[in-house]
Amino acid sequence: MSTRNYKPLQMHRIPYTDLTEEQVTQALRPTASGPASRYPLSNVLAGKRLKIVTDAGGPTLEYHFRTGRELELSENGGKRVKAGYGALESRNLVLVSHMIPGTQRGYKLVVDQHSRLATVFEVYFSGYAEQEIAAAKAANREPQFKNGRRNREAQRRIWFGYVEGDGPAPTARHTFTNRMEGKGIYWRQDNDIEILEFYLSILYSNFIELTRFGGEMTVCAPSDYIMVSDHQFIYSRIECEFSGTYTLQIVDLFDMTQAGVRLGLNEKDELEYYMYTGQGELTGQIATFEVFGNNGETRGPRRVYRPIETFDVMTDDEVKEQVLNHAHAFGDGKGSGAAGMGGYKSERITHFAGKKLTVRMDNGGPVIDYEFVDGGKLKWRYEGDSHWREAWYEMYEPDDKLYFFAHLLDAEFPRSCAMVAIDLKNGLSTVVKGTTGTPFRNNETTPTYYFGVFEMEGAPTPPTYLRHGWTDEMVGEAVTWNYQPGNPGLTSMHFYATPTTYSWIIFQPDGSGGMQWSSPGWYSKLRDGVYIMAWVEEACNGTLGVICFNKRTMHDAGFGYHVGRNGLSLSVVGARARHAGKFDIKKYIGLKG
Amino acid sequence: MTAHTTQRSRRAFFLQGGAVLGAGVASTVGAAALTPANAKAPDEHSKNLQQQLNDFANREAIRQLHLTFTSRLEHQAYEHLPDLFDEHAHVQLSGVAAAGKPAIARLFAEQYRNQQAPVMHGAYRPNALQQNDALTLNESGSHASATYHVDVQVNTPLQGDCTAAQMARLQGQMADCRWESGRLEASYVKTRGEWKIASLRYLPS
Repeated sequence: MSTRNYKPLQMHRIPYTDLTEEQVTQALRPTASGPASRYPLSNVLAGKRLKIVTDAGGPTLEYHFRTGRELELSENGGKRVKAGYGALESRNLVLVSHMIPGTQRGYKLVVDQHSRLATVFEVYFSGYAEQEIAAAKAANREPQFKNGRRNREAQRRIWFGYVEGDGPAPTARHTFTNRMEGKGIYWRQDNDIEILEFYLSILYSNFIELTRFGGEMTVCAPSDYIMVSDHQFIYSRIECEFSGTYTLQIVDLFDMTQAGVRLGLNEKDELEYYMYTGQGELTGQIATFEVFGNNGETRGPRRVYRPIETFDVMTDDEVKEQVLNHAHAFGDGKGSGAAGMGGYKSERITHFAGKKLTVRMDNGGPVIDYEFVDGGKLKWRYEGDSHWREAWYEMYEPDDKLYFFAHLLDAEFPRSCAMVAIDLKNGLSTVVKGTTGTPFRNNETTPTYYFGVFEMEGAPTPPTYLRHGWTDEMVGEAVTWNYQPGNPGLTSMHFYATPTTYSWIIFQPDGSGGMQWSSPGWYSKLRDGVYIMAWVEEACNGTLGVICFNKRTMHDAGFGYHVGRNGLSLSVVGARARHAGKFDIKKYIGLKG
Repeated sequence: MTAHTTQRSRRAFFLQGGAVLGAGVASTVGAAALTPANAKAPDEHSKNLQQQLNDFANREAIRQLHLTFTSRLEHQAYEHLPDLFDEHAHVQLSGVAAAGKPAIARLFAEQYRNQQAPVMHGAYRPNALQQNDALTLNESGSHASATYHVDVQVNTPLQGDCTAAQMARLQGQMADCRWESGRLEASYVKTRGEWKIASLRYLPS
């Protein structure tokens, strides 16, 4: 493991500049001379002429590659323009990248020298606003630019076609594909950038920036996957909601190499435009869930999930009003319904009615006395405090004699809840305290973990030193969660990427992976195969989710804590799981394998 | 409304309309050239032919109207559905009902668009009973009624507002999608020369 360069802000917290079109034009000006690279680029096209014809109303591009770094291009028979370019070879494929000087657009080409097939990516900037205005018009709503016009965000159009040559035009084409779905690859680029990429959807990917961001978080980006052959693929992504940077690479699964290009403006608004090669290691292949015969060739439109754009940021006063006057736990005792993430909740535990217990957390953590009034109401007080409070609660048993319950704490601002696990086999307890607010947004939530013990009549004497604790055993695991019955119901897949983050993928009706997003997440171990996992949907929905996951039953019991304009809620999570597979990635993030 | 009832297959009902119209026009030409001396008076004959032509034109217009409705619904162009309805129209689709064009607009733009309706129709397909489809025009050609035997995609929207549900909705996803056989009972009214849907009711088999 090389030295990690952690950043003070992860991508979802960086306030990327809302650049004007003119600023983007200025920033892109150096692209006219072509991409940089650490090592010499290919001269394979020097002196050649190519005419690329594309389908479906795409452009016809006539190139004259005058040298290995300078080309002339005529688009659709128009005036010739000169531009700098770069090229890289990957077996029979050539990757070409260039911009059109004086504009904010350019092309990436992948040309197959054997089959003459070509895929053209037109990449351009300052295109988001136009799309948003069109989408708003179609939906009969006002365009929304809460987070600016995103001129810095790259856009792309993709056309499939071929290179004109001797003989008839080839009828085959490169195609969209799901054949990369489920793979994970560690890449080390020739510029020493290390990155873990995971292709868990046919529309998205997630990656862990080991070098640039230290590997703490995984982030997601809308992506395209195109099949050239059984072992050669084109993968591209746009870091929407973040810097807007565009990445495209040819991936060869025979020799695990890549040839790529990166184009965008980083968090300092500095241009990054370079080509690179890389060597990869397969970290795993997890299950996919399409029916056999579905190869993802007709995948439909690639939508972009924009949680930062759509997150409704509330003021202090607005959140205060909600947490004090509109707080509801478990339907105020009427029980959580099957809506949302509780469609497969287990049987509620009510036999603690009449029992008393005390949870005692270590190191100055909370010590709370409980009296369970009935199956839905409890009394609690901090130890030493004479004042008992009443609260609604729900309790579940995710593993034999391991109980997990939750309730709201005092009506104060910010407001907290307690999610309490008690193990009647050994007297250990873990409390996750959820509190509204983060340093960034009032209507996000923050979890605090406490490990300790509990005391209850009939419960075992707890150990002195042993505790539940943090674990990395979940790292690399991918688990599907079916939250609501029906076909397809509501199903997502969790990918537990590092000890401090995870991502989730929402399945499409045909079983393919669709939209994806990520958040920080933390993992503790209660028993062998039984874990508490907590996440906060930062810059997204603000929700704290805490589940106790039993890998033997492949079921969970958990709670969601959320504050928004509809109030503060504490609700139940209950879902059925399937194991999708595991990536062997610990060694890349500094953990023992 | 008994004058011009047609019962034949959906394919014939929809797809052969143009061919029938063509045959009608052809027969008009032929008839004009070969009219025997004892035939009906030319005025009456022309009147009949004109009536047939009007019938064909009306059927084609209603066919287009129905196809436009099913197409827009399937493509979730909900904001463009109310244009197809008469001001006083009423709809009832698996228990989700609205009366009057403004209410129908709200039904599609809000309940359907935001997946707030308890049940939503997602698509229609002709089914094995399509030979029993019927279209009836009244004599004046101002009103019509039709029965379409269809399989309907009945969708149950996702519940809750968690992030996963929000993302799934963005993908157009439902909690449950199933196909059910039934029929659409429709009535139409011609207003200012244009056919509109006056009522649309779905009845499960």
